[in-house]
Amino acid sequence: MQRISVFFATAALMMLATLSTAHAAGDPEAGREKSQTCAACHGEKGNSQNAMYPKLAGQHPSYLYVTLKQYKSGERDNAIMSGQVTQLSDQDMRDLAAYYGSLEGDLYTLPLRDGGQ
Amino acid sequence: MTKRRASALAATLAGLLVAGAVHAEGDPEKGRYASQTCLGCHGIPDQANVYPTYMVPKIGGQHSEYIVSALEAYRSGDRTHPTMQAQARALSEQEIQDIAAYFASIDQPR
Repeated sequence: MQRISVFFATAALMMLATLSTAHAAGDPEAGREKSQTCAACHGEKGNSQNAMYPKLAGQHPSYLYVTLKQYKSGERDNAIMSGQVTQLSDQDMRDLAAYYGSLEGDLYTLPLRDGGQ
Repeated sequence: MTKRRASALAATLAGLLVAGAVHAEGDPEKGRYASQTCLGCHGIPDQANVYPTYMVPKIGGQHSEYIVSALEAYRSGDRTHPTMQAQARALSEQEIQDIAAYFASIDQPR
């Protein structure tokens, strides 16, 4: 009997762990609507044309989300971005991350071996 | 004379400032060497960073200028990330330029 409850408790904990790992999903469509300001620097579809500003299109949403949170907390400091994020809620940041992650772009994981090697 | 000297000094200083602002050009071939360590994380699709957990960013295809500014920010401590700070602090300004030049020279794998 005790064994069974330990089993269920473990199963319940594992499910909880899974739930909290999976980010509350961002909504790309909602993110698109919130992205007007971002577009001024990061480009209309996240493909920034200005080399000072990173391209965001196709970037991992989890990275984008953490980055926004770091700007908000002050852990990452940037004169422009720190101002931009003050009005963003946690859900806004998830939505924006989901939107930019969903776009087609130039970004890619570095190849382990490039052509001639 | 003093005035002249002062203006000569000012011109020299201005010249130095301009020279400092122009980044030394990066050498992609040297950058390929210097960037081997980067691939351990940035060359693995969907590689995860932990604490906090998120995917290591894709940096292929990113603007070179942004790569340089990111590495400089890690090196100075303006941007915090234990691994990246350790990596960037081991790099000279020239190596940072070389790495950015190398990344820019790679074609997107198809």
